[in-house]
Amino acid sequence: MSILVNKKTRVLIQGITGSEGSRVCRDMRAYGTVVLAGVTPGKGGENVDGVPVFATVAAAKGAHPSVNCSLIVVPARFVKAAAIEAITARIPLVVILTENVAVRDSAYLIALARKKKVRVLGPSSIGIIVPGHVKVGAVGVGAMARAYAPGPIGLMSKSGGMTSEIAFALTRAGFGQSTALGVGGDTLTGLDFVDLYALFERDSETRAVVFFGEVGGTAEERVAEYRSTLKNPKPLIALIAGRFSALLPGGTTLGHAGAIVSEGRGSYASKVRALKASGVHIAHSVEEIPTILAKALKKYEMEHRN
Amino acid sequence: MGEDTACRSREKVWVPSPYSNSNDDPHAMVTGHLVRVARSSYHSRMKLREWEGKEVFRRYGIATPEGVVVTEAPGTLPLPFPVVVKAQVLSGDRKKAGGIRFAKNERELAREIARMLGKKLHKEVVTSVLIEEQISGAREYYVSFSYDDRTKGPVLALSTKGGSGIASARLLPIDPTVPLTAAKVRAHLLKARVAAPHQAALTKVVRQLFELFQTEGALLAEINPLFITKAGVAIAGDAKVITDDALTPVSECRNIEMDGDIAILASGGGASMLNMDALLRAGGRPANYTEYSGNPPAEVVRELTVRVLSREGLRGCWVVGAAANFTDIHTTLSGFLEGLRSITPKPTYPIVIRRDGPRREDAFEMLHEAGEKEGFSFYLFDAETPMVATAAIMVAHANKHRVKRKKKI
Repeated sequence: MSILVNKKTRVLIQGITGSEGSRVCRDMRAYGTVVLAGVTPGKGGENVDGVPVFATVAAAKGAHPSVNCSLIVVPARFVKAAAIEAITARIPLVVILTENVAVRDSAYLIALARKKKVRVLGPSSIGIIVPGHVKVGAVGVGAMARAYAPGPIGLMSKSGGMTSEIAFALTRAGFGQSTALGVGGDTLTGLDFVDLYALFERDSETRAVVFFGEVGGTAEERVAEYRSTLKNPKPLIALIAGRFSALLPGGTTLGHAGAIVSEGRGSYASKVRALKASGVHIAHSVEEIPTILAKALKKYEMEHRN
Repeated sequence: MGEDTACRSREKVWVPSPYSNSNDDPHAMVTGHLVRVARSSYHSRMKLREWEGKEVFRRYGIATPEGVVVTEAPGTLPLPFPVVVKAQVLSGDRKKAGGIRFAKNERELAREIARMLGKKLHKEVVTSVLIEEQISGAREYYVSFSYDDRTKGPVLALSTKGGSGIASARLLPIDPTVPLTAAKVRAHLLKARVAAPHQAALTKVVRQLFELFQTEGALLAEINPLFITKAGVAIAGDAKVITDDALTPVSECRNIEMDGDIAILASGGGASMLNMDALLRAGGRPANYTEYSGNPPAEVVRELTVRVLSREGLRGCWVVGAAANFTDIHTTLSGFLEGLRSITPKPTYPIVIRRDGPRREDAFEMLHEAGEKEGFSFYLFDAETPMVATAAIMVAHANKHRVKRKKKI
């Protein structure tokens, strides 16, 4: 299996007539993803490479009730309204590719999604791919698809570019991926590392998880907290970027209130310390990941035989 | 280390539009003729200075002490003594660093202003000073709204012990999809053991601050200290407002100057940070931190190149990024080459480039030719060479360049 998306995924693209929207639409379909409809206000009745365009999500959902995932590729200032449409239509998974969404708007749509029991991936997500089967978003576009291969590793990343970079290293070393996805590097994101790691833990096909984190926020520390509560957790390998930020002036980070709210967490040192304490393996470069992964998997499987 | 204000970053040119319903010049001065703020402060920041924050506060009905902003010692002060003299810099902990002083008379005021203006406070030159009436005998609270990635939404932080010694605050997650009612705020104040006579004034300010936080799309709106006077009046003693990058139009690059000698043009937020870490591990000293994301036009890359390479003492230049999904590598590197050509004296230091993605082959062919004809020392790598390996290659070449220069001397 995989997490979040699979062969039964039926996609709607909000913003399908834009240049980015039509490009990901073509690319996703070429990969085998079923895209049933698109939405662009004012362009109902048109089509993009044969995919019908509707003026509203409700109309698209009415014509294609099997839609179970919406991909949002609209400009940042329209993201909130687009997401409200998708969430109130109760599409169970909303993937937001758009970058530079105001935190205020993200907070609103995340709160709404929680109430309506809708999952949101992003904003600023590169998308999600189940190699060889389906992908939603701009992950592994065109020739970059060769970076991904089917296999047992779960991969999640705050950075879109690094998703492909790490997948490439894994694939070259013979480690395919069960699912690879971008959570987005924003202050607030819908699904975060903890939510996704929990899904990977429950996914029978995933044998180990690799993730790319960055300084700032508390998601990495919370992964460590969560992992400490698990019995026999799967091997987890982390690559954390931003060690150098300790060299920058303090003003580059949030001020007093931020420090209070995050209780001093968020630095490279705090993340690595927390992760190590919960048994997470720390990689210092992309190239180290396959080696660490091979060792960790071997050890895990030895322990489980006994 | 300084941050480049022309470029996307936490520091940016102030754009008034997201700030108000009016077309007020945000640099129109607080109170008339006394106030002249240096032109340089026109480049406002993501983090507002205290006086700018207080201006925003007043628009939302939050009272602030009577005060004036000055850039030189004022002739006559339209305020009664004693007054507080506050350096208008962005860093916190001003009090400890001598950025907040008190004056009982004109002589003391002139002395304190002279001690601040033009001097550095936490590496920032003080160009303006806020003089305010001194509020005495009041209770000091801490109130702020910010975002918490654990609750994935806004949080109200409140402490009954505000001021510079603030250590902990009670947090209340806020649901942004519904109004913040007075009843909700009051319930929280009760839990935080706010004294009964102060509850009404605090409830009002908390709701005004939330209104500001939401309408302005701030990432942080903080009052510390918030005075509640004996008469039960709330007055914001300080203002810290951090605005959201996403709400202000920006170019697509940011550049922070650092102390080293290897210039860096990195792309992709995540990869940029990882590569900085790699360069430091390889023993290199970065001259700057910059990143550009998305598919920037050649012109943006050209400008950034000029900005990054226009400093003396460079021993190398490292252009690095993860294999791109969308970014047209030929466009990007054309911009880089144009920028490079306009640098004088012509860079002779090694230039290590690790890029891959759409039209990479064309781009490398172009650079190869330019390198041969124009004498640039390019070292080109695609995705087959790990980014971290090119960090070591960059450092090795930069070191050789250093040795060569020394021999010539």
